[in-house]
Amino acid sequence: MILKPPPIVLACLLATLLVPAALLLGLLSGSSGWGWPNADILWLIRVPRVLAAFGTGAALALSGALIQLVTRNPLGDPHVLGVTSGASVGALLALLLLPAGFWLGPEVGAMLGALASMTLVFSLAWRSMGRGLAPSAQPGTVAVLLVGVMVGAACGAAVSFMLAVANDFQLRNIVFWLLGDLNGASVWWPVWLAVAVSFAMAWPRAQELDWLARGDAWAWTLGVPVARRRRIAILAACIATGVAVATAGSIGFVGLVAPHVVRLTGLRNARLLLPFSALFGGVFLVLADTVARTIISPAQLPVGVISAAVGVPLFLMLLLRRRA
Amino acid sequence: MTKSLPLRLENIALRAGAKPDGRLLCSGLDIAIAPGERWVLLGPNGAGKSTLLMSLAGLIQPDAGSIVLGDLPLPAWRSEALARTRAWCPQFWLDPFPVSAWETVACAIIATRPELESERVQQIAREWLTQLDAGHLADADVRTLSGGERQRVALATACAQDAPLLLLDEPTSHLDWSHQAVLQALLKRWSQDGGTVLAAVHDLNLAWTFATHALLLDGRGGAIWGKREEVLTADALASAYGVPVNIIEDGASRWFRVELEG
Repeated sequence: MILKPPPIVLACLLATLLVPAALLLGLLSGSSGWGWPNADILWLIRVPRVLAAFGTGAALALSGALIQLVTRNPLGDPHVLGVTSGASVGALLALLLLPAGFWLGPEVGAMLGALASMTLVFSLAWRSMGRGLAPSAQPGTVAVLLVGVMVGAACGAAVSFMLAVANDFQLRNIVFWLLGDLNGASVWWPVWLAVAVSFAMAWPRAQELDWLARGDAWAWTLGVPVARRRRIAILAACIATGVAVATAGSIGFVGLVAPHVVRLTGLRNARLLLPFSALFGGVFLVLADTVARTIISPAQLPVGVISAAVGVPLFLMLLLRRRA
Repeated sequence: MTKSLPLRLENIALRAGAKPDGRLLCSGLDIAIAPGERWVLLGPNGAGKSTLLMSLAGLIQPDAGSIVLGDLPLPAWRSEALARTRAWCPQFWLDPFPVSAWETVACAIIATRPELESERVQQIAREWLTQLDAGHLADADVRTLSGGERQRVALATACAQDAPLLLLDEPTSHLDWSHQAVLQALLKRWSQDGGTVLAAVHDLNLAWTFATHALLLDGRGGAIWGKREEVLTADALASAYGVPVNIIEDGASRWFRVELEG
């Protein structure tokens, strides 16, 4: 199959058009109907929510792209590898144990939870983090996935346990984590900060991640400090995922699909893949959230429902059309 | 291409899996490899050919002894400088994501010559693919290539790294006859330009026509090395492979045939 060169100009053009369009659409529609809302609704409700949605989508997509590259696994995703579950546990622990209103408690808790689960996954499944390289076989790609699913299951059990012991007030907060909902997202900027930090960590050396995806040993012979690159990328992914989960609960799917959609358009290099995945994830989640809070208004759906309902067919369609 | 540096193996011992409790693959390898030489690594499956190539690439530490490239032992080399000095072409390739053949080759060019402009990188990548008769595959997705086509892309990648010392792990395992000839001719030019080639191969006839020197591992810890005439003898081969090898001498050249009973 012949691969087309990446349509960089077109992609930039589309991004500059789609990002403001999606943000505007999100601002103009709400449970009170279509149109320009009054200033209080706009600034206190719509703007933070749309910004939180964009940042969350961008964070999950960026994290998904990074995890796919460093595990060289097209199935890599913060959700699949148990990172979001770990982040949920961390955020919930922070909610339950810290005094109410503790500044950025859930965010930091989620980030630590994400880091803990990811460290666990990699130390169990991937012994060759250092210079001891296993060049021939595919080191740990299947093992990482299996261990990730297991760690995710364990974290799920931990969440269920906390659900059982929590009091009524805490329960409402917990359910919001589980559903993956932007309804409770009142603070929008931590996730933008997390995206910026994570992007700044990963992007300057993104090219080397591309080489890493083609084998540790080969990348090492090209002069790439393999273990360090991978650790930095994983740390960046954990920061982005953790804060995204703290902002909007565990929303699956965006992290898996966004990098694949971007790749299918021809933007395959990690240097292009990372920023455009983030943009696509942001736009996607803003649109999904807009639908989620208007489709059965005045009631609201959790955004995870819409992102899966739209994302799964979209992804399958792209995949099957490419095969044909 | 810059001229290759002399490579010295000083009393090398290797163990399977590079683990101290692994099976002993070979010991006491004391070999000097000069620029312009073409070496073949021979031996039965699991004899340690790949392990030796990986330790020469600096990927694993030998169990004993040291490998000296130029004036420095391998661990003392900076990895960026090493990338411009030796290229390693593994036996297996991972292609988890769609990528075109020329972009794969471009990785090696960007890694060793980051100062080049992207058009120039693409041009060099396509030239190397053409050299290996894979120019028509430059824009194809590497995951859709056949085994031999993928191998030619891999070999083009190794050559494009522009490192004079080539460490090729079974470079002809998937190649048809015509492309084996293309590769042989290319590697001969490579060594005449001052490069050094070490290749693990299984085909004795190919080894004879290609190499100037040979290293034969017997898989039981023993090894012999030297000029190809001294190593590729019926006794040595039969002892290493465990099957009788018949050599037909034809002037200065030799033909190898494995004699089976019945």
